[in-house]
Amino acid sequence: MSAVLRDRVLAYQAGIYPRSERVVAATRGLERRRVAEADVDAAYRDDLTDFIDAQQQARLDFFSDGLLRWQDIFRPLAHASGVPARILTRWFDNNAFFRAPEMETPLTPHDVATSILPDERVPLPRVGTLPSPYMFSRAASTHSDRNQLMLDIARHILRPTAVALAAAGCRLIHLQEPWVGFFGIDRHDVTSFERALDVLGDGVDAGIVLHVYYGDAGRFAEWLRRMPVHAVGVDLVETDLASLGSGWEIGLMAGCIDGRSSLIEDEERTAELVRRAAEMVQPSVLYVSSSSDLELLPRDVARLKVQCLGGVVERLKQPVAP
Amino acid sequence: MKPLLTHEVGSLDKPSWRVKAYAGQPLSDEDVESARRWGERLSVPDYPALLDLLRTAPLDREAKLEVRRWSSLYAVRLLETAGLDAVYDGEQQRTEMYDWTVAHSAGFERRGSVRAFDNKYYTKAAATGPVSLREPFHNEEFAYIRSVAHAELKVPATGAYTIADWSFDEHYHRDGDLTRPADERRAARRAARREFVLDVARNIIRPNLHALIGLGAGWIQVDEPGASTEPDELELFAESFNASVEGLDATFSTHLCFSDYDLFFPAIEAMTACRQFAVGFANYDSLELGTADENRPGYRVIGKFRDLPYRPILGLGVVDIHTDFIESPELVRDRILYAVDVFDDPDRIHVTPDCGLRTRSWEVAFAKLRNMVAGTELAREALGL
Repeated sequence: MSAVLRDRVLAYQAGIYPRSERVVAATRGLERRRVAEADVDAAYRDDLTDFIDAQQQARLDFFSDGLLRWQDIFRPLAHASGVPARILTRWFDNNAFFRAPEMETPLTPHDVATSILPDERVPLPRVGTLPSPYMFSRAASTHSDRNQLMLDIARHILRPTAVALAAAGCRLIHLQEPWVGFFGIDRHDVTSFERALDVLGDGVDAGIVLHVYYGDAGRFAEWLRRMPVHAVGVDLVETDLASLGSGWEIGLMAGCIDGRSSLIEDEERTAELVRRAAEMVQPSVLYVSSSSDLELLPRDVARLKVQCLGGVVERLKQPVAP
Repeated sequence: MKPLLTHEVGSLDKPSWRVKAYAGQPLSDEDVESARRWGERLSVPDYPALLDLLRTAPLDREAKLEVRRWSSLYAVRLLETAGLDAVYDGEQQRTEMYDWTVAHSAGFERRGSVRAFDNKYYTKAAATGPVSLREPFHNEEFAYIRSVAHAELKVPATGAYTIADWSFDEHYHRDGDLTRPADERRAARRAARREFVLDVARNIIRPNLHALIGLGAGWIQVDEPGASTEPDELELFAESFNASVEGLDATFSTHLCFSDYDLFFPAIEAMTACRQFAVGFANYDSLELGTADENRPGYRVIGKFRDLPYRPILGLGVVDIHTDFIESPELVRDRILYAVDVFDDPDRIHVTPDCGLRTRSWEVAFAKLRNMVAGTELAREALGL
């Protein structure tokens, strides 16, 4: 990996981070009216402290709040926009579920809820996470035209939120896009997706990373590398390195820590994988993170993964002996 | 089996007195009062003896087991009092459907809580070696429940595919070399996965079912909420069901929930030993009354179950287990009538909740089940049964 790129390796852990056993017990107790709300708040506060500590110990470059109170990646956004979400729907091929936003009526502008913004204790610079407009429009329950819905979601929900996140210190906005990875995308929908990303990013003072995961991003590398974003993220657990192509004009986010396996990666082997990906793609900037968010792991395992991510990046930043 | 037979699907919430007593926590007056109130309401025989026992908390190991049996008895009575034709005990003696199986098997290690949705979690384990049955794990509860139940019993037992799918795999597939071509990696993953799932079926589930049948279990529901998690593994799910019940003499059914049910076809055509599919639909349905197609959007797929060549019964989920909304008997009736019309045969319809009711309070679960039974009676009347 070139010395220039070595200086541009940046690490972060985006998405929903798992809750501790204490929060699990507290929220369960709250629902059964056996625990007070204040105890739940205290448990969440400690979880955030611990997650910040994990990121600092791993020397990550951007800090996340772990979306610890988010029940799924859509819920707070849907709620803030007056969109109901009731139907329990499987989250891709996982034993996890989200409630599909029910988007049958036209979206209108809403204020961004302050609860969506990172807690002030999260160090700067920050990374914020949002669902990609394509995934949002496909995961929603609707009878409307989904490409028009995608544009409306980008305009009325995601862009205002991204602007607010940037104003709250997020230098990166990480867009989760597992739909393209898992189900693919029709060629004629790509143009609409590109327009939605244009709308979303307009006037947002932060870099936007589009993360395609739960599938082989190489199938779409030809157009992904030209999308109007700062960087494209790939899931290296599912992606064929050889299919990524070379000479990207945008950045690469190498998702190299398996967000669905409890096995902890070997740091040197993983660093070597990322080096190979970077040498092949030759991105303008290299971000390193997990293949998907760590929500589907137990908290202790997730913490080890964050430490491993830090170790991988440390190795990447060191010159390799010839 | 009688037409429009009613049964529950599996779990019920555990009462606070059971949870706290078993965890060695102090019990409040409210906990004991709850045991009294339900004991009286369900006419549980000798329930004051439970109250006396609870008042002696913290309990020793033997007393905790006694509380667990009481909880089992209460749940059986709740389901019987609601009027169900076939019952079990709401899995009161188990920790949880996944954990209970794994805890009685060799080759697993617990890794911690993982969220399924909202604030609902399960304790996820990893396969760390070849998996096998350590000891049959439903025998004790079955023997007890059979001794106290008046209604027919249907034993819920977690299926092999779900156990494997809900586990991490740290044994069968360890190769993390991501520099290999993706096709090779996927093929290796698939082979390892098949070995894992079928090991669970042959070495854990089947011997456990065999032991249950030896004790007299006649109807076993193989719970597979994870069955459609990986759409390209549905044939493996069907293969694991067949491997789990092969050569065993009992009535076997399976439970599927919260999926795109279209995915199951045609793979489940191979599950010829499955006499009934208990499937959750109410979660996807409208709350409006009516028996026309447009009134019942949640049930559009049921024709595919009707057309399975071995003509299984459909356990029709008519009660949404994720909300406190109490379905009216009329809504339940219309869902049943719609299904009977599609099947053109009431003998092939049973009536159930979408899934286990453990996420609802007993008050809500009881009200839902009573209305489910009342709605079934309305449907029987409408059909002249």
